[in-house]
Amino acid sequence: MANNFHAALILILFTAIVALLCLLTALRPELTRARGGKILAFVALCILPVLAVWAGANEHLERSTSTQFCLSCHVMANFGQSLYVDDKSYIPAVHFQNNRVPREHACFTCHTDYTMFGDYKAKLRGLHHVEVQYFGKIPKPEDIKLYTPYNNRECLHCHAGARTYEEASSHHKTPDLLAQTAANKLSCTSSGCHDTIHDVGTLGDATFWKPIGGGQ
Amino acid sequence: MTADTSTIERRIRWSGMLVVTGLVVQMLTLLWTHPLAFMCFILVGCPLVAAGILFYLYSLASHHTS
Repeated sequence: MANNFHAALILILFTAIVALLCLLTALRPELTRARGGKILAFVALCILPVLAVWAGANEHLERSTSTQFCLSCHVMANFGQSLYVDDKSYIPAVHFQNNRVPREHACFTCHTDYTMFGDYKAKLRGLHHVEVQYFGKIPKPEDIKLYTPYNNRECLHCHAGARTYEEASSHHKTPDLLAQTAANKLSCTSSGCHDTIHDVGTLGDATFWKPIGGGQ
Repeated sequence: MTADTSTIERRIRWSGMLVVTGLVVQMLTLLWTHPLAFMCFILVGCPLVAAGILFYLYSLASHHTS
């Protein structure tokens, strides 16, 4: 977290310096009559702003993968709460509490496609979510569903090849179970196996884990 | 100072102001981790900076051709 804070601070300072150079050029355009002024104007109004915006876009994209970002919309609060359910059958909770996913990027780790532009597609959907948040009818948390069935690839990204996954007796109930799972023909989460996911509708009866020392 | 010089300097002033405004918006959005900050950056900050840069390049190009 400290590194992220320092990176953001450096970026803000860099942007401020670029803005000051632009302001100087804007307030004293007569500087551009000299050769040095022309170079200053080109660097200040063309090259440095591009660099600043590129760095800002990177920072914003990185931040948008954080758990804090995902849970900043009120409708997501229950999903965040479900990560602390004290019940090992809750798949997201057991992953979050045991550091099987990075806690600061917990949502993003399981909810984006592992493709080159997966996060950009997620951003486009995110824009739609913001529109619904402010201009549409916000659904109840328990009515929020995935756009497409959960892809086993997101599980196998980490579990494939793991000894505990491949040798678990429950994964050999049928001879081709692992192959069917790898081919995404048998869902990990909706085939009666690991089907307790966020279950935000039942949180009222749940007990919650309290991390020693506060946790995240 | 010719009228042509005056025109390009006025355009540089405008493009500088557009870029500064866009960069200020970017700085403000970086203070907040929220979807609205991201949208403000994409929909307000970036277009302002892009408009400023394009207007600056246009002013250079039109100055040279004139």
